[in-house]
Amino acid sequence: MRSRLPAVAEQLFRDIQKTYEDTSQIPDDLLIALKFVFGPCALQALDLVDQRSVTCLSSSSGRKAFQVIGGSGRLYTCFVSCHYCPCPAFAYTVLRRNEGLLCKHILAVYLCQAIGVTQQESVSDQQMSTLLSGTVAP
Amino acid sequence: MSDILTVVFRTFMSHTGLKTDLAADPPPPAATTRSALVVGDHSVSRSVLLLAAVTAASHLGLRVMFFTRTQIQSLPASLQKCVPSLSPESLKFLFSFSFKKIKFSYPRTVEELLHQIASLHESTNTSPTPPSLIIVDRLEGFLRGHSELHPGEQSCAAHLSALLCDTAAFLTQVLEKRPSSSGPCRVIASFRSQEDAGQAGGEPSATDPVLDILDRYFQVRCTLDQDRGYEAAAAGLQQVWNIYLSGRGIADASDTKDCEDRPAEAQEWQLLIYPDGLMEFKVV
Repeated sequence: MRSRLPAVAEQLFRDIQKTYEDTSQIPDDLLIALKFVFGPCALQALDLVDQRSVTCLSSSSGRKAFQVIGGSGRLYTCFVSCHYCPCPAFAYTVLRRNEGLLCKHILAVYLCQAIGVTQQESVSDQQMSTLLSGTVAP
Repeated sequence: MSDILTVVFRTFMSHTGLKTDLAADPPPPAATTRSALVVGDHSVSRSVLLLAAVTAASHLGLRVMFFTRTQIQSLPASLQKCVPSLSPESLKFLFSFSFKKIKFSYPRTVEELLHQIASLHESTNTSPTPPSLIIVDRLEGFLRGHSELHPGEQSCAAHLSALLCDTAAFLTQVLEKRPSSSGPCRVIASFRSQEDAGQAGGEPSATDPVLDILDRYFQVRCTLDQDRGYEAAAAGLQQVWNIYLSGRGIADASDTKDCEDRPAEAQEWQLLIYPDGLMEFKVV
């Protein structure tokens, strides 16, 4: 995902990726840093990562999007190149109150990408358009 | 994105309007600035958007998608009178050529707009050439209508803005793979805050919550602020508008390595509107 994060967050994801490549785990110090930077949603995002909840959807046009299975089982479609999630937490905590950088779904996308556990799925161009516009639930 | 707006301002600087010399100053590298939000009176901003569309199509040869809720009944006088030296037939040909590259779309609701933008990646929209400029006129008209998708305007504004940016990023990738690349894909939208609409000649409010959301996604803000001094009337002008370019897109551009080799992009302009509707820009 193209990053619009602070430099400290970008570096953190790079560190997580490198460490995970070498050790297949995220060490405690990086987990602590994750919680420090992202707050309470860090643990929730890690749960989503453990559940392999993030899928990268691709269509024949080459367009991509991320789909995240939330804690309630609902699907959230997130963009590849900028931060947006249709979940209530993003609308309230990130947008309205400006108290968080991300919601747990977008953070889960970053983490899954960093450690290489994103699922892959193909959809048609029309399905992709529908998902991106949010007009009909998949 | 301020690069195309700057081309518009430079193109319409002289009183003779659209330059017949198409070797106008090329836009500076647009590596970082790909989205601009024009904030202010919607009649003026709409004219700016139309000038941007025609300038992009005619000067830069770009394919343009123009989304608006209201039918376009007339062109800005600056376009109608742009080249006095050209015959009506030549002018007609110029517009015909330009407008073949501009596709106008009139979604009625924000849901329709979202779907149309989300569909731009489909082959029907990318053949033969993907659009290089996406324009959305009067975002507030879409955002303040009833939306079944979003509980509030802020969420809707974020979705629409993010979709525009993501779509532009994707189309940029497509354009850059083409031999005759006309990338990157840029976005220009216009917005008028409720506070601005309610004040007579007041500045666009920085406290509009929807505007705060839009500022997250748009790299450049182009603010139109009417000058209500007596100088305008004294000069025989109908209106004078101050134009300010701001935002992280402007700051990033000034930090690039090229800034030593090329002049910095002007951040303040003035728009003069004559009684006959002709628009003229000048650097402040």
